Amino acid sequence: MRMMEERMTYRTASLVAYVAFFALLMVLPFFLNSFWTNRMATYLVYSICALGISMSWGYAGILSLGQGLFFGMGAYMLAMSLTLADPGNNPVPELMLLNMEPDAVRDLCCVTTGSFLWIPFRWVIVGILAGILVPCILAAVIGYVMFKRRTTGVYVSIITLAFALIGQLLIINNQPLTGGFNGLASLASLEIFGFEFDPYGPSIYYLVTLTLLAVILLARYLLSGRVGQVLKAIREDEARARYLGYDVENYKLFIFCVSAGVAGLAGMLFTLTSEFAAPSLMATSFSISMVIWAATGGRASLLGACIGALLVNFIGSLASESATFQPVWPIILGGLFVFVVLVMPNGIAGIFKDFFDRRSAPRTVEGR
Amino acid sequence: MLMTAIDGKQVVQPLSPPILRTRNLTVRFDEFPAVHGVNLDVADGELRVVIGANGAGKSTLLDLLCGKTLPSEGEVWLRDENITSIGEAAIARSGIGRKFQTPTVFKEMTVLENLQVASNRRVRVFENLFQRISARANDKEVAVAERTGLLDSLNRKASELSHGQLQWLELAMVLSQEPKIILLDEPAAGMTAAETDKTAGLLLDLAGDHTVLVIEHDMAFVRQICRTITVMHQGSVLAEGTAEEIEHNPAVIEAYLGSATLSHA
Ligand SMILES: Nc1ncnc2c1ncn2[C@@H]1O[C@H](COP(=O)(O)OP(=O)(O)O)[C@@H](O)[C@H]1O
Ligand SMILES: [Mg+2]
Repeated sequence: MRMMEERMTYRTASLVAYVAFFALLMVLPFFLNSFWTNRMATYLVYSICALGISMSWGYAGILSLGQGLFFGMGAYMLAMSLTLADPGNNPVPELMLLNMEPDAVRDLCCVTTGSFLWIPFRWVIVGILAGILVPCILAAVIGYVMFKRRTTGVYVSIITLAFALIGQLLIINNQPLTGGFNGLASLASLEIFGFEFDPYGPSIYYLVTLTLLAVILLARYLLSGRVGQVLKAIREDEARARYLGYDVENYKLFIFCVSAGVAGLAGMLFTLTSEFAAPSLMATSFSISMVIWAATGGRASLLGACIGALLVNFIGSLASESATFQPVWPIILGGLFVFVVLVMPNGIAGIFKDFFDRRSAPRTVEGR
Repeated sequence: MLMTAIDGKQVVQPLSPPILRTRNLTVRFDEFPAVHGVNLDVADGELRVVIGANGAGKSTLLDLLCGKTLPSEGEVWLRDENITSIGEAAIARSGIGRKFQTPTVFKEMTVLENLQVASNRRVRVFENLFQRISARANDKEVAVAERTGLLDSLNRKASELSHGQLQWLELAMVLSQEPKIILLDEPAAGMTAAETDKTAGLLLDLAGDHTVLVIEHDMAFVRQICRTITVMHQGSVLAEGTAEEIEHNPAVIEAYLGSATLSHA
């Protein structure tokens, strides 16, 4: 009985942490200038990334090092729509004018090879839907290949990393279609029902915060239910789960796709706060950074992963302003990862949980 | 029970057609035949004991039955369904539950969570999307936990259990699956004498409702169960019969002469 009470305390404490975290986020813009509002919005986008990592890695043991691919695809899909929405890119984006044959027709249908693929993106809703669906479909294909062959552990990491590199190369090498190395940078602001989201104003900040809240609530609902329980079992011993009748591959494929969709959503929001999409979003270093954020905050805790992303990026931005720390920041980040993996495998959230477990443990023994 | 033990001679009288059959079941690891040409007929509700020295191929036989290993040759039939290569999960769903030699459970989950995962009959992702989980055990889970002596441990993490309790937990999980056929690999290994007795009692209790195939090389335990015995030797079936028959079978005696497995009577 004691144990139950203590468990409740931990649950209550988690609830308090959630409420406090989001309450703080809601009032934060009142104390920030537009530069920092924008920065914070970007960091909250990273929190959504870390959420996606936590869902697949923390809950299902799938460590994807290719989240940048899904993030980048999300960013590009919306950026394509916003490129076309920019009057300067009428009737065809400037990047295509730079790359077209001299006598080509100046129309999206045929200005460059493959430019017709842009046509549906004239409607922003297509960009938004594609920003989630394309990463999901990509993940479904990659995941199908991996999981049906029962690829596990470090091989999943290597394969996803390889796919992200392929994606990055394809985008860089198809300049007439994608803008190549420079990416897409002359974008209009997002306008929905006549309301224009200003990257430096509170509107995008709140859009990101509310999206984060929605994603975290949905993730909690999903993972605290039967699917989460089965995923946890698969993480523990996937062979055992099979002998209980579960099609392990399908569960992995599902959470991998959901996690990719979340990364795609984050990528779209990134396009809004940062006003560009570029191949660098698919770089290995960026995908690995996302994993570090989640690990620092606690990969098995959704809120922990969010806080990890905020904290690491906030400290990183302070470091980048100091001449001494700026050059060594990547080394610090790498060191942080090693430290977290070796010393606190459950991250900040793990320390929080241990505190409650330790408080309850001796009493349980007495109570028995 | 579905068989009649009249005297030493005529023992196995399956009243129902076999529920589990293997035909020429063979698996080779690098040319080494770990299981070779095994034809097994297990009647519905039967309690069958498989014995044999270490390395005889008993565990590998169970691996073939539950889909862990694919046979090089031969087939496994569950009633009139060929389940040879339908995959572990599908085999489990068609009604075969397996307990391993070293207990495999979900260590970081509580006993109750282990049972919940095992007893859940909805196995597909989309069927489970909106399924919530109860923090308390339902009647079935309580019954299984009671049967396996885990009622007081429902909220403990599996990693905190003793080795004997882990054996019980895995058994409880297999029971929660409600399989038609239960495959048990040395369930009494690492158990105390009292626990071994309890296991034997449980197996006798399970037979009839379930078909049980149990590997055991403790003859005292086998005699306690006192059912049809299949003796494996170097991957093949050497003999089949009652404990009495097996102990007097010349081929068995030759294969095991002086070995501790059968001789300490
Ligand atoms: N995966 C495998 N690869 C190679 N050899 C194996 C494999 N599994 C089992 N064996 C061999 O098959 C034989 C039978 O093993 P096993 O079925 O575990 O015996 P038992 O359970 O009767 O003690 C042993 O010689 C073992 O070394
Ligand atoms: Mg064995």
